[in-house]
Amino acid sequence: MTHHLRRGFRASVVAASLLLASTLSAQDGDPLSKLDTNNRYAFDLILDSASAAGIPTRPLISKALEGIAKKVDNKKIVDVVRLLFVRLKTVHSVLGGVDEQELYAGATLLEAGAKPAQLELFRPRQKGRTDITAFIVWTDFLQRGIPNEEASSAISKLWRDGVDDATFQSLWTNVKGDISQGLNPGTALQNRIRETPGRASPQAPGKPPEGQENQSSR
Amino acid sequence: MNEPKVAIAVVCAALLIPAQREIAAQVASKIEAGQYMVNDGGLPISALRLAPTVQFEFPYATVKARGAAFLTDQQLQLADGIVSGTFTSPTVYGVHAEMIGNASRAIDDRSLSTDQVDVQTRVHLRFNERGGIWVGGGVARPWRIGAFSAADITDAGGWAKLGSRTAKFGTATLTTTFTNFAFSKIASVHDSVSAELSCSTAASVVANRIPAPLRTETVGGGVCERSSRFGDLEGSVHWEIGVVELSGQMGRRFGDSYDVTADSRKWSSAMATVWLTDRIAIVGGGGRQPALPLRGLPARTFGMAGLELAYWPMSNRAVPVSLPHAPLVRSFEMKPGLGEMQKIVIHVSGVETVDVMGDFSDWSPLVVSRRGRDLWELSIPLSPGLHQINVRVDGGQWKAPPGMPTMRDSFGGEVGLIGVSPDKTSH
Repeated sequence: MTHHLRRGFRASVVAASLLLASTLSAQDGDPLSKLDTNNRYAFDLILDSASAAGIPTRPLISKALEGIAKKVDNKKIVDVVRLLFVRLKTVHSVLGGVDEQELYAGATLLEAGAKPAQLELFRPRQKGRTDITAFIVWTDFLQRGIPNEEASSAISKLWRDGVDDATFQSLWTNVKGDISQGLNPGTALQNRIRETPGRASPQAPGKPPEGQENQSSR
Repeated sequence: MNEPKVAIAVVCAALLIPAQREIAAQVASKIEAGQYMVNDGGLPISALRLAPTVQFEFPYATVKARGAAFLTDQQLQLADGIVSGTFTSPTVYGVHAEMIGNASRAIDDRSLSTDQVDVQTRVHLRFNERGGIWVGGGVARPWRIGAFSAADITDAGGWAKLGSRTAKFGTATLTTTFTNFAFSKIASVHDSVSAELSCSTAASVVANRIPAPLRTETVGGGVCERSSRFGDLEGSVHWEIGVVELSGQMGRRFGDSYDVTADSRKWSSAMATVWLTDRIAIVGGGGRQPALPLRGLPARTFGMAGLELAYWPMSNRAVPVSLPHAPLVRSFEMKPGLGEMQKIVIHVSGVETVDVMGDFSDWSPLVVSRRGRDLWELSIPLSPGLHQINVRVDGGQWKAPPGMPTMRDSFGGEVGLIGVSPDKTSH
């Protein structure tokens, strides 16, 4: 009577073993091991360079993991990581010792098409103020086809006026809606920036508003 | 009556478990309540039926518990309960494997209950996201059914998906399965009904091969072991049109008269679900179910009408159904949760699976749980700062979620950008 049990169980064990083997191979403990030897070596060199330059390595590792997850060619992954390292270094030199998150937000903005000089305005800021939302909105504007100069001008003015994250968010929502209605991206931003509060007293680029603490020495 | 009450309490308590901090496991649940009518040849029963279900989902595994209980004579009577686990391998060239384990208890009346443990494996092959086939096999071990040994189970099937959610007539999924059960029946020679068949020329006297518990019952007489088998051919359709879901199945059982009772030769049933909101639906239906001899359950006619709260698909055939087009994500929201947790709330229709990944998961895919009609949720820990996220449906392309800022990902695609403020609001 037990031969049915034995036979079925044996088949199940074999199938389960195959299943486990395939799954375990797919869940390798170190995803970066999927980089081949040469590209892994190049990647490790970039990490060493980043550490030596005081650049956080987590964004670089994350970008490599993203490439691996999206099944991108190894060489392309290393090229992208190298470019990200260069951008992080550039942002670090422009913004100073900001935290990893802001550094990465700045690097994504540069990748979207902003110029390093356009970030200099964001170096001085109020204590506790973060430029992440401003950079996210700016990055998205560039992605939607708004010319960089117009996007830079609008975001910079709002930043100087000291608007909060909610204002940036509201501007993004309105501009996105107008573009989806068929309005020219640049025109959509111009229209919305006129009705956005807080731009009444624009100041010269690079000059912090009164009462704001210059934290460039962080 | 303590046992049913405790079981129901445990399952209901599990329904209240919030999503944990660990992003690996997500919890989904539903409960169905309604009037249930059943006639299995004895006295017809009509009672309030509660059927809770809770499911824990991991990237490559799912653990599910469900049960059903009747409220009769002011008492709760447990009808059945099942705990099951499914382990799924990654898909390679459209092929993936699956291992399914179940432990179940069925209670036909208050004095008789049966248990069963079964393990099955399947290999699935998908064609163009519109159809697929699978083959599988396994073993089931019933307890408290003295007349049965363990059963070898082999099954094969195919599925096809027609239409789309945006089409006038919605989408329909057709499934056909054939399942073969092979097992041994044990009969005492003193059982005048069974022995005539069991101890005929096709059978052999195998008293010395019978396990101790059975042999004890037949001390002083011979017992016979007879190889039995029957096969179930079943076709089913699941049709979704707007807020209405219709499902029906028809089946036929093949086997000789000793293995298949006349009332289980053919069966059919149908169910309808009408969604009132994302989480609440009216359900109703009825039909005929065949006997489940390995679980000691007789054939029965049933009918039910009630409400379903929360929902996700509970296909017991594990058919991997998906759509070829995926521009269906209607909305994607981030809502603050406990601590650093953020809840992702997605409305997407006509899909079977939704995954997200991002820097917060080291770019490993996380399964999003279906919590209602077109409603999918996932809780993840997100620290303040900038995060990148991708979403995909039905294992398709990774895309930026709608309704949030995006950027190019340097790899030819796009990612969504999430900014989490120190006060936990996301934007």
